[in-house]
Amino acid sequence: MLRASLILTACLAWPVLSLAQEAATTDELYGLAEARPVAADNQTRCIAQMAEFPTDDPTARYQFFQLISDTAYGADDQTRALFDHYGQPAVEPGTPVLSVIEDIANPVLRQAAPQVVVSSMNYLVDFASVCDVYITGQTDSLLAFDGSLANPELNSMIAEDALFLRQILSESLSRLGADGDAVWANAARQYSRSLVAQRDAVEFAAFETDIAELESLYMDDLDGRLARSNDVINSEMDREILGDAIQVSDDMSKAAMKRAKQERLYRLVRIFGGGG
Amino acid sequence: MIKQVLLASSLLALGVAVTGCASTAKGVKSSVVTQSVPQEALRADIPEGGVLAVIRYPAIVEESAKDIYHRAYAKRAIGGQTGKGVTNTIETVAVADSAVVKSNYFALSLYKELAAKLPEHAVLLSPHAIKLGPGGELTSEPLTAAEDLPSVVSIDFATYSFPDSKKMMGNVPLTFGDLVTPLVTVRTDHRASVPTQGLLMASRPLLSRAAAEGREAALQTIDALQRGDLDPVVPELDFISYITNDTPQDISVQSLATRSEKNATMVLPVEKVRIPASEMRLLDAASDGTVDPLDDIYTDALSRRVVALINGLDTDKAVMMGRAASISDFDPSLAALTFVGSDDADYAARVAYAERLLDAQRKYLSVQSLRIFDGVHNGELGAQVRDMISAEHDVLEKRRSLARQQNMATMMAIASVAGGIATGAGGGSSCRDARSQAEYNACVRRQRTRGAAASGMINAGIFAAQEAYSKAQLSQQVGNNFLNSIVPALEQQTTVTVDLLDSNETITAIRYEDLQTKLQDLYTAKQRSLETVATQCAYLEPGGQMRGTWLGVCEGGLANGSGAGVLEAGDEVMEYYGFAKNGLADGPGLMIRHTAIGSISYEGSFVQGRPDGTVRVSQSGRADKTRNFKAGVDSGASSQKAASPFEGLSGGAVN
Repeated sequence: MLRASLILTACLAWPVLSLAQEAATTDELYGLAEARPVAADNQTRCIAQMAEFPTDDPTARYQFFQLISDTAYGADDQTRALFDHYGQPAVEPGTPVLSVIEDIANPVLRQAAPQVVVSSMNYLVDFASVCDVYITGQTDSLLAFDGSLANPELNSMIAEDALFLRQILSESLSRLGADGDAVWANAARQYSRSLVAQRDAVEFAAFETDIAELESLYMDDLDGRLARSNDVINSEMDREILGDAIQVSDDMSKAAMKRAKQERLYRLVRIFGGGG
Repeated sequence: MIKQVLLASSLLALGVAVTGCASTAKGVKSSVVTQSVPQEALRADIPEGGVLAVIRYPAIVEESAKDIYHRAYAKRAIGGQTGKGVTNTIETVAVADSAVVKSNYFALSLYKELAAKLPEHAVLLSPHAIKLGPGGELTSEPLTAAEDLPSVVSIDFATYSFPDSKKMMGNVPLTFGDLVTPLVTVRTDHRASVPTQGLLMASRPLLSRAAAEGREAALQTIDALQRGDLDPVVPELDFISYITNDTPQDISVQSLATRSEKNATMVLPVEKVRIPASEMRLLDAASDGTVDPLDDIYTDALSRRVVALINGLDTDKAVMMGRAASISDFDPSLAALTFVGSDDADYAARVAYAERLLDAQRKYLSVQSLRIFDGVHNGELGAQVRDMISAEHDVLEKRRSLARQQNMATMMAIASVAGGIATGAGGGSSCRDARSQAEYNACVRRQRTRGAAASGMINAGIFAAQEAYSKAQLSQQVGNNFLNSIVPALEQQTTVTVDLLDSNETITAIRYEDLQTKLQDLYTAKQRSLETVATQCAYLEPGGQMRGTWLGVCEGGLANGSGAGVLEAGDEVMEYYGFAKNGLADGPGLMIRHTAIGSISYEGSFVQGRPDGTVRVSQSGRADKTRNFKAGVDSGASSQKAASPFEGLSGGAVN
């Protein structure tokens, strides 16, 4: 859902994206045309990783799945290779995703061990990629269960959180020296630029949501007020005035016709009776 | 007998001279506007921050301006000479007021048709109040904020009736009953159609005045730019400009049927279009606004022509000044950069916010237009106008019937007098040649009979001539009776229109102001900072002696980057949109020169203030041509495509 909203946002913010060619949030720009792992082969692994996800609150659950999806969105081979290189040691397979996210958000780890942030993000991206079918299935089911989860405000908030996590990753890569590494600098810069464009898109989406709300509020209000005002003023219209005017005109014309008829008779008599 | 013949001939001559052959005010069944109509769908998008069309029309006359308006209306008649004393008689006042009421009603037919052919929220209504200007002169001003937003085209629409009611059954223009005489002008911003001063189409009488109005508006915006002001000029209605008899301006024209590449304004003839009888019957029977008598015979075709005109325009050029003006209200440092744009990411992000904000304003104002349509057309007001049209139609039919009777009587009179004279003349031989008394008596009887027949025919002629005269008088009386009686109803319609539009505008304006404040807050809170901002500095002519104004990117007090420059050099006024270096036009640009004989545009490459390279030249009465320039000198035709500052950024960008 959010992916769709991000794509929509990207379309709305076309000047940003079209002018900054490297920056993108779409499959095309990330080159995600490669084959993805089949989820059925990883069923056990996916179920295990989702074990500690919230279960009691649909909103929290939706937020969680959507956050993972948004955080991992658009990672291509080059980005994954970058993460593999700087994210060592890798996170232990089977680690619950919830604890991985907690590690990324941990300010102490961010400062002291940026490679842990990179490896955690790599783990998240891997999870999102391998278990994409499960994640999409979960978000779709939750949306079907509760339509209000499609609320653009909620989704903008999730996108902002995902962006925050991605920015942490970008900073960690920078801290690990990826920017200055001849082999990885290009991939790191590209990732960094994509974040700027994505931030613009997310902010614009939030602006769009705010403005659409204002628009809707004001337009509905105006429409109602004008309709009422029109009705009141139109009700002041006195149809009889026109009817009376037409009646007066008709009466005057009938009288003129009658007079003309009489004069005609008089003329007839006068002319043919010898008076003329 | 001779006395009778003389009397009959005199009466007949007088009758024919006074009444003539009475016209039945037929009108045309098919307007030229409906012939060979372009059937193209809209190809342009709604320009960012603007609308595609604004329909301007006279809606009310302010109390203080009424007398001057009535006199000006009577004085500047279209389609013939008025009789003496036609200034502010009750009938002329009724005709002039009725023209406003009908314009207010029929403009909505054009709105409906155009709105159906364009995207949602792309058409706005701009009702005008006819009022007195600061110097006491007659003028018009928009009642709503619709013209604050940039529009690709603006359409002036009015319906017209000849002010001398005595001639309304003749061949003069008339909007009465089943007859409608539309007056139309379609214009765009002069930057999108430089050679025609922005005037794309106009009814013939309004043509020269509308052209002058276009030129004046262009020069006023340049004056404003010179002062660093981006506020757009909203011209008065072309119809008001016509009746106030302002200075005209020559312009190259072509007929609607002409398919030519030359830069010329299309001319519409003044036509009295007749609504078909079937449509009038539907209108009589309709209890609501579902029957539009004008769409099939005029406004559908006109709106299709407007769509074709929009398709032929560069919509970005058409709205660039208006959009910059709107943006300058809340972001002056961005406004002048929007003329040609920039490839900076911060600019692109910020302009997206600004355009979204203008978009919200556009949608908001379009609600007002929809409600004006609804209030006027679908309410009691519209119902009463439709009732009035039906009543007028009855009057017109009565007068048509009387005109036919009058024509019959005139023919009878001619035939009878001619027959009487011929019969009388045939009996001229003398009975003195009779050879017997019986022959003499028979001759006298024949002569008496012939004389009586001639006398009878001449008497019939006299009667028929008087009858024709009487029918003409009666027809006039019927017309005057209606115009005199309808005054209170017209006054009521005017009052309700004023109330309705005032109320609509007051409600809209209060909320609009509030909305703008909220939008401004939202914009300020969310916008990104700009690395390069627009300011005001000097713009130079190639010789370097004359200094003009540059709004855009500046460096060291001189134009240096993208923006707009204006300059007065002798009798010429020049404007430029594009890129500059060291104060001079440099890079891709659009230069417009306004001279005494017209305006010429050069779009392409500039070096050190002069056209240099491939340049597209547009001037009045000729097709556009692509030329090669060297240091400002035309060195012949070019087969290359001229660069444009509006098609993405290329070589000339300094920043």
